[in-house]
Amino acid sequence: MRIFERLFPVLALVVPLAGVVWTIDQFGSAGVERVSTEALIRLVFAIGLYIFAGNSGIVSFGHMTFCAIAAYATAWQTCCAMLKPITMSGLPAFIRDNTFPLLPAALTSIGLAGVVAFTSGLILMRLSSLSASISTLALMFILNVIYSNWTTVTMGSSTIVGLPVYVTIWIALGCAALVIVIAYLYQVSRWGLMLRATREDEVAAQASGTSLYWSRLIAFTLSGFVAGLAGVLFAHFMGTVSIANFFLNHTFLIVAMLVIGGMQSLAGAVVGVTFISVVIELFRRAEVGFSVGSMQMSIPAGSQELILAGIMLLILIFRKAGIMGGKELRWPWSVRDDGTVAGVGQVRLARSANCHR
Amino acid sequence: MAYFIQVLIDAVALGSLYALVALAIGLVFGVMKLINFAQADYLTVGAYSLVIPTAAATPSMMFGGLPWALMIFCVVLSVTVLALITERVAFRPLRNTDPTTLLISSFAVSYFLQSLIIMFHGGRPKSVSIGAALTRPIDIFGLRVGGVQFLTMTVALLLLIVLVLFLKRTSIGIQLRAAAEDFSMARLLGVAANRVIAIAFAISGILGGVISLLFVIQTGTLDIRMGIMPTVYAFFATVIGGIGSLPGAVLGGYIVGILSVFLQAYLPEEMRPFRDAGVFTIVILILLVRPQGLIVTSAAKERV
Amino acid sequence: MLEVKQMVAGYGRLTALKGVDITVKEGEVVFVVGPNGAGKSTLLKTISGLMTPTAGEIRFQGDRIDGRGPETLCRRGLALIPEGRHIFKTLTVQENLQVGAMIRKDSADVRSDMEMVLDTFPILRERFKGVAGYLSGGEQQQLAIARSILQRPALLMIDEPSLGLAPLVIDQVYDSLRKLNETGLTLLIVEQSTGRVMELASRIYVLRNGKVVLEGDREELTDTSALDAAYFGFSSDAA
Repeated sequence: MRIFERLFPVLALVVPLAGVVWTIDQFGSAGVERVSTEALIRLVFAIGLYIFAGNSGIVSFGHMTFCAIAAYATAWQTCCAMLKPITMSGLPAFIRDNTFPLLPAALTSIGLAGVVAFTSGLILMRLSSLSASISTLALMFILNVIYSNWTTVTMGSSTIVGLPVYVTIWIALGCAALVIVIAYLYQVSRWGLMLRATREDEVAAQASGTSLYWSRLIAFTLSGFVAGLAGVLFAHFMGTVSIANFFLNHTFLIVAMLVIGGMQSLAGAVVGVTFISVVIELFRRAEVGFSVGSMQMSIPAGSQELILAGIMLLILIFRKAGIMGGKELRWPWSVRDDGTVAGVGQVRLARSANCHR
Repeated sequence: MAYFIQVLIDAVALGSLYALVALAIGLVFGVMKLINFAQADYLTVGAYSLVIPTAAATPSMMFGGLPWALMIFCVVLSVTVLALITERVAFRPLRNTDPTTLLISSFAVSYFLQSLIIMFHGGRPKSVSIGAALTRPIDIFGLRVGGVQFLTMTVALLLLIVLVLFLKRTSIGIQLRAAAEDFSMARLLGVAANRVIAIAFAISGILGGVISLLFVIQTGTLDIRMGIMPTVYAFFATVIGGIGSLPGAVLGGYIVGILSVFLQAYLPEEMRPFRDAGVFTIVILILLVRPQGLIVTSAAKERV
Repeated sequence: MLEVKQMVAGYGRLTALKGVDITVKEGEVVFVVGPNGAGKSTLLKTISGLMTPTAGEIRFQGDRIDGRGPETLCRRGLALIPEGRHIFKTLTVQENLQVGAMIRKDSADVRSDMEMVLDTFPILRERFKGVAGYLSGGEQQQLAIARSILQRPALLMIDEPSLGLAPLVIDQVYDSLRKLNETGLTLLIVEQSTGRVMELASRIYVLRNGKVVLEGDREELTDTSALDAAYFGFSSDAA
């Protein structure tokens, strides 16, 4: 029972997701299934971002970098054996002339993203949180400039096509569930608690012996791996890779999802992605046109983006902590709780954990 | 030698431009701890206000068709009004929140404005020609200098001098600097919060308007993303200068601008497309040595 | 001149002041002393308008002022030098003083006041064009006081004027505060230690855990044991 109670925050997210996926798989159209798969992949990415931003309180605008790195890496390994020597002649010979199995390709790509996150984190995590936020943006610009111009390896701004498409809705769900578990285990781990403590009060956390730098770096690296996983999933879901997809628009979408759901809890990330995915899909359809009775109506193209930015601003103004307000879903019959919210409870734990050192 | 001097003029021109944008960002950051992404869109909106909203690739002129002085006035005025509106509607309700929330909200405002431009003008780049007469090269002391470069340098330097004089010599300028350093104390001495914040945004708008014109004269194109690069560069200028320091912002602006031009001029041909990546990498390396920026202020540290 | 009645104020769920009454009369030097976390700074922040009280009322020269912002209140003659002095370090001494005098329209008077201030604090004349960040702690405190005087306040509130200063420098600061009071300026001063208070105070309040635990005129409190008892929270016959 206690284990169940402890795992409740994860189960309460994964089980409903699985239920929805099962329903869509059984009764949904191919279109709905596609949209849902994409949403699940975005969820993987959002949780990757959450692991760093949610726990550290530093927003990263640069996580698309890791996504792109993994997506390209898996493309280099798995795509288009015939065309590769021509279109991507600059690749090292053993990659250019071989096609690698999917799983090892995925794992090495994710690994590469994690390594890049770690290396860049070595520098970026030294900065104060605002400077770090902005520097993550620079990271994305650096990557974007390099990959858009490194024509012999990345095909520049052209799209790489012909990747094996193997990501089904179930694979996406499996990965989402996996990263939810990882994120949860991380945030209740020693390192996660320490980082959450620094988020609440940097000075106090430092004074009580937490290494701000290392706890941030660990989170940044872990979130780099998860973002890399999202990149691999994107690549093998679309079957194509293009640098334009890993830039500001997509970044904005994911940050908006996190902010709207509530950046400071895992449940917030899940709720935000789900809610915004539904809203976007509705508006996309409304832009295409719908009929009310005998009337054909549609809203102007681009309203989707305006609405999204508008919702985000309203949330920031009126409910800064997002829909979930920084809370995790908790076992409702818990006796331990004295009515305080989960986030606060965890931070209190973190503080006492520090005191005992 | 002649080439070097041309490069130098370019460097000063671009450096001054970035210094201006950085100063605008630094002022707004000083008075309300907001790093304003929407600065990018002030630039973009200024440029698009030259033409009539259509989806056409070579649209007919709106403000761009007016006589010079009137065109500048209209563009600058509309951008300034826009900057003040964003302050009033989006940022004022958030005034007392933390810098990270403010940063995210400016990201949202920026996205909102960008989507609005796309809605009215379409997403494709457009070509527009103003100030064609200025693109002719001119001779200075026997040196042939691009007219646009010369104009950019002159205007940017002039604006920078005017702005610095305004900040140093006028009462409002001194109030603004005081507020940028210590907002609560300035309020205790009677500096009106709404007014200084509005002035900081108005400066952002004015600079945004003028700079957008300089960019259009230089490139002859309108693009949804045209404001992003200068703004991101200016962000970096403020970061390497030391967040919260106004002299730091100017210094950072020149460092970034000069680096950018010199890399463009002296990198081998095949490396030039990677120029921006080079600048950002160098900037990050500077931060590695001086994580708090070149001029450390109390605002750079997280508040205790 | 200043009347604080049953004021409650705090930060979010934390209540720092739990119903405080304080009165300051024209020409007085009133001290509020108390240990760390007693709510002293909150008291001054709330009176000056930097914070809004959640209950109670504040009257200044007869008018309700709670809920007004600091930029209004300073125009009505209320000045605060916050803890840590908060001079503008990147501005010159001259510019600091200019910002202080900003709310006044009478430029001739400002000029003569400026001279007066520079006579009172000669070190500031010496460093007039220099950047304020390079002043020593004592000089910064003098600048902060000078800057506030240029506002021509009716009531000057100071949060821990002796904080971080050497005893000799504290002497100077207290000396200049006494002179200011002799010219008719009313002072409300917060200090953490009771040590120097007796030299200057006309009245003293002891604040503990957000409540006034002792108040009295200087004459009534000559026996410092009562003061100490209240300060440290001993149950004594005086409290």
